[in-house]
Amino acid sequence: MKKVPIGRASALVRHGTSFTCRSFCSATSTFSLKKVTKTNFDSALEDLRGHVRDADFVSIDLEMTGVTSAPWRESFEFDRYDVRYLKVKDSAEKFAVVQFGVCPFRWDASKESFVAHPHNFYVFPRKELPFDGPSYEFLCQTTSIDFLAKYQFDFNACIHEGISYLSRTQEAEAWRHFNLEYEDDLSKEVRDIPLISTVDVLFTERVKNRFREWRDGLLRNTNVGSQFEGNSNDSKQKFQTVFFKMRPALTLKGFTSHQMRLIQLVIRQQFKDLAYVCVYGEDFVEQKLVVYTDSEDDKHLLMQEVKDGLHKEAERKIKAAVGFRHVIDLLSSERKLLIGHNCFLDIAHIYSKFFAPLPSAVEEFVSSFHKKFPYIVDTKHLLRTNNAIQNLMKKHSTSLSSAFAHLCPEIACVAKGSTLPHLSYLKVEVQVDDMRSSNWNSGAKHEAGYDAFMTGCVFAQACSRMGIDFKLYSPSTVLAYNEKLQKHMNLLYLSWNIGAVIDLSSGKVTPESSGFYFNKRRYPEVVFQNIVLFWGFPSKLKPRELRECIAKVFGPDSVTAIYYLDKTASFIQFSKEEFVTGFLVLKETLERNNDPISVLHPLSKLLEGGHTHAAKYEVYKEICSSAISRILFADQANSVCIKLREELDTQELVSSSEISEAGNSISSFVAKSESKSTKSNDVLNDPSYRHFSCDEMNDALYIIKSQLGKQTKNAKL
Amino acid sequence: MSRLLQRRFLCSRGSSNSNKNSNQQQWKVKQVTKSNFSEALEEIKKHIQDSDFIAVSSQKSGAFSAPWRRVLPFDTPETAYCKAKDAAEKFQLFQFAVCPFSIKESKVIAFPYNFHLFPRDELNIGMPAYSFSCQTSYLTSMAREGFDFNVCIYDGISYLSRVQESSAKDRIGNPISRIHPVKSSLAQSVADSVFLERTRSRVRHWINACKDPIPKKGTDDALIKSLRKLILGEMFGSRPCMSIDICSERQVELVLEMLNEFSDLIGLIIPDKSGGPKAVRVVLTSSEEDKKLLERELENIEEEENKRVRGFREVIDAVSVSQKPIVAYNCLNELTFIHSKFLAPLPQSMSEFMCSLRFAFPCILDVNHLLKEIGPLKKAKNLPAAMSYLKRQFFAPLDMEIPHQGFSEQEHEGKNHGHNVLRITHLFAKLCLILKVTRDSNETVNDDLNNAMESYANNFNPFCTSVQEPIDGEGMVWMDNTRKVSTEDLAFLWGFRSGMSAGVLKSIFRGSHDVFSEDFEVRLVDKSCAIVVFWTPGSAKVLLNVLGSGAVGSDGLTEMISEGLRGAGYELYKRICRLGLWESDLAESLDRALEEPIPDVLGADSTKDLSEIYWSNDVIKLEDL
Repeated sequence: MKKVPIGRASALVRHGTSFTCRSFCSATSTFSLKKVTKTNFDSALEDLRGHVRDADFVSIDLEMTGVTSAPWRESFEFDRYDVRYLKVKDSAEKFAVVQFGVCPFRWDASKESFVAHPHNFYVFPRKELPFDGPSYEFLCQTTSIDFLAKYQFDFNACIHEGISYLSRTQEAEAWRHFNLEYEDDLSKEVRDIPLISTVDVLFTERVKNRFREWRDGLLRNTNVGSQFEGNSNDSKQKFQTVFFKMRPALTLKGFTSHQMRLIQLVIRQQFKDLAYVCVYGEDFVEQKLVVYTDSEDDKHLLMQEVKDGLHKEAERKIKAAVGFRHVIDLLSSERKLLIGHNCFLDIAHIYSKFFAPLPSAVEEFVSSFHKKFPYIVDTKHLLRTNNAIQNLMKKHSTSLSSAFAHLCPEIACVAKGSTLPHLSYLKVEVQVDDMRSSNWNSGAKHEAGYDAFMTGCVFAQACSRMGIDFKLYSPSTVLAYNEKLQKHMNLLYLSWNIGAVIDLSSGKVTPESSGFYFNKRRYPEVVFQNIVLFWGFPSKLKPRELRECIAKVFGPDSVTAIYYLDKTASFIQFSKEEFVTGFLVLKETLERNNDPISVLHPLSKLLEGGHTHAAKYEVYKEICSSAISRILFADQANSVCIKLREELDTQELVSSSEISEAGNSISSFVAKSESKSTKSNDVLNDPSYRHFSCDEMNDALYIIKSQLGKQTKNAKL
Repeated sequence: MSRLLQRRFLCSRGSSNSNKNSNQQQWKVKQVTKSNFSEALEEIKKHIQDSDFIAVSSQKSGAFSAPWRRVLPFDTPETAYCKAKDAAEKFQLFQFAVCPFSIKESKVIAFPYNFHLFPRDELNIGMPAYSFSCQTSYLTSMAREGFDFNVCIYDGISYLSRVQESSAKDRIGNPISRIHPVKSSLAQSVADSVFLERTRSRVRHWINACKDPIPKKGTDDALIKSLRKLILGEMFGSRPCMSIDICSERQVELVLEMLNEFSDLIGLIIPDKSGGPKAVRVVLTSSEEDKKLLERELENIEEEENKRVRGFREVIDAVSVSQKPIVAYNCLNELTFIHSKFLAPLPQSMSEFMCSLRFAFPCILDVNHLLKEIGPLKKAKNLPAAMSYLKRQFFAPLDMEIPHQGFSEQEHEGKNHGHNVLRITHLFAKLCLILKVTRDSNETVNDDLNNAMESYANNFNPFCTSVQEPIDGEGMVWMDNTRKVSTEDLAFLWGFRSGMSAGVLKSIFRGSHDVFSEDFEVRLVDKSCAIVVFWTPGSAKVLLNVLGSGAVGSDGLTEMISEGLRGAGYELYKRICRLGLWESDLAESLDRALEEPIPDVLGADSTKDLSEIYWSNDVIKLEDL
């Protein structure tokens, strides 16, 4: 699902082929992996604690309800690393995690094989605590949901039975809330309510008499309970004598909250030996009682007991509400080596769902995350940068299922022909509850638990290929310290199509080290300060026309590349930074003047319709950081930029130089009153976002190729 | 009118509550998914034609994103619409129940269908919905009622709105047959006639070549055939055809007109990716009869294609075409969803929305509005409550007959969703009996009754809670009697210490300033913001001036201002709703709206705004809930 939508088609095909391959395997055990829902969560968690403690590494995988909240939020080659992070952040904040796969792997020296315990947790962000938290809401991307459905994802299990969770921040908030309420209940005295209405006066008198009668009855006779009940048939429903913490008490039922307040008042003012308490009964239902106490000390004791009880109750409730986060806490506290496949988005989800809201800067995020999970290895990075494995993969796709089929053919049950007989494969035994198998395949691809299992297998094989010999391995060795792993440790792809790798321990972003991908880059080097973000132009404008228009003004070599975000928005990379300023200024002048010369100007073709805007690259970052997600980039930009434009208006940008100075400058100051209604219509009327015709694509490529050719020539010279 | 009706039902008031047909468990609703959609569509089309009313009810993925974003009693129709619009755009429909029914004396004949929907991108064009929101509490309560999400997602029927369809048609790129071309009115230019003449001769040559019998020379047969194919062009099914490249709409017209000269040709327009015509494909038929056959074939193809593209919207279209009155509960909510998912994107204002809606559905009856006619029912918060009240208070025996209930049992056993539509049907029929408004059975509409119906039609009642809205936090409780308040006498206050109740706030405000010496009410909108109602006109303005100037003085209000108390009038609230500054707390939204100067972009709107202020309907009813 993470590879939607481009990776999806290939995954589907591969899925089909692996099915046919599977028929060659005769002795495959096909018991299903451990499915954990809220009904068996507690016991599963206890088992998992043991497995994780003993594990050498733990692989994880997540299934989400979507990846991008708008087409233009997909990963582009023109995304700077900080922009890329903002897109990941947006995704992690908006979408829900519905399945969480955890698979601890332990080296069994006696059998010379790994033992894996794949777990598949169904997760659903239910609101478990009663008080007014944020209204939980999440986004679903239709294609992702449909993709999950294709792989038979059980939505009922997820929504009916999914395990809920609280992040650490939410838990702290819950405690704060509880303490506040708790003070209200206990320490804070009931405000004196003036008894104005006769009804209140009568009621107060009546309950006062009732309590006095009951208390006096208690004092007269030790065998009070039955006697009192006998006396008061009329109010049996409302007052019932019980014992509360070894003391006689009256339960209060069927009163309004106003009457309850009056009762509290009466008790406090009139009865020194009675105490009003509010507790939770056996079935966790709120219960209000009036308790008789022997003395002032006894009363204090009682109140303390009640307080402790409430505290315990809150603890139990909050602990239950923390739910799935216990698994995350376990992984964090055990400081185990975590394995994921292309897992930057996964860790962003983990952080935002189980720790705290994501920080706005990527450096801050990775350093906080690193403190919680010090060792993490991305198998995608491992596969793509390690030469030994590269040779083995023979340039096959590094998608998870492809890597699994190539590195673990025996487990993946690929037909014998394709395996390499001279290579020995690590054995992996699977254990689910009491069932064990050394030849296991549940076949449920794109199920988080199975994907986690595959990731772990790929990692184990990769380790063995890199020369880590588990047979020489003693139980005290910590895999995470292995020096052969260090050059992959904590290195994650921020985005693998731009080849940006982030080091979680330092927060540094570097281009991919291996030359594997670099040669294949289709685009010239991206220079962000040479880029203009251009949007709102007529949707029929083709990249070639756009390029020609600009070339007429700034010269044939002025445009290095053009990249379309969607059909009415694009990046234009100029060959020199001054063209950026020139373009912005020119556009603004043209818009302001409506004389014939301006109309005939080559650029005015781009400004047709009057909704065209242009800005520097920084504005793109601003737009990406917005919580809004409109389908078309132009609509998004306009709704984000209303505010920016206002700021600029006040700055009275008259001179052109100032325009270029303003970092966030949007060149469309000429306030055009596009009415909002037409704008919103555009969003839905014109949903052909991101669907370029072949021609358009070719045009775009053509431009780039020709530019590339020139560049390389220049370089050679 | 309403007084007259009230008197009428006072007479009919009885104490009987015996109703042998009240057991709703036995009612079966036909469940429709992808697999049985085609047959169900044919059935329901017939029922829609035959019945008097059509009840609708839907199951959504959520209702509101924050407590204050519900439609609240102090919302004007305009702000209520903005809120409903936002919800309709964000959330998704999972089920849509349609129940065509007729009332014949005291008998209701109903045909309830429940359609499972999912906005699957069937045509791979990013429609109908790129993404949608889910409210977890909503899903949880649906789960508790046994909702089957798998059926919905795996087998739900997809759809496209009318606007989406028209933009999708071009992108799918299927040939469009235009059997009866419009006569071109323009005179032909020289270029036109050159083009026409060239094309005409091309077509003529091609026809002759096609009709030329294949010379029988056994051995070269295959070769000649393929050569012929090369020259004559492709085949359309079993019939020969050729393509004529086209540069403009004008040329399409010319070619189609020219084709009329030939009795055995049919022209199909082939659109390109951007929707404009790319070519005209000319198909040669062998006879007049064959031509008719092809035309029918093309019609069928188009029909099938439409079914595939429109999906569930076929049902909505059938309802719309029938022009039958629509019966719904919580109409504003229901119809904003219908409009946004099946017709077109929602317009900016309520009046535009009502206009656009009236084109599709000329008569809409809001059960909530009918309930208002029976005084005490104003208190009924939901369908069951209203129903049980009616049962207690009125004697109106009613027979529900659901003729098709037998055969729905095989499918989705034990999963009988979409009952709300039957509850609405039942309640509506009962109200009709009690209020004595019903259509004559033989379709001759009595003028009086028609008028009565008219007075109820298209009157949306925005102030109501939805059928199964999860209740959280403290609800809005207003005074016992309904009083009209101008929005000018309302003020929003925020920035006070969190956790204060309305009562506490009121007691703090009282005596903090002269403004609060008169009678006023305080209610919490959400935990961050309160609304103050002044019964003395002008007080709100005074208060806001004091808050704005941060007045000097030693009174309590000044102190609260220094602690961060802020205030705004109703206008700001309206602006928030209109601009969609939806934050999770109202206070946050108000702060944001204060920060942002009124953008120029909305220049067009601000004039409209002015008229709203003086609009006499711009008063809100504060009712007890």
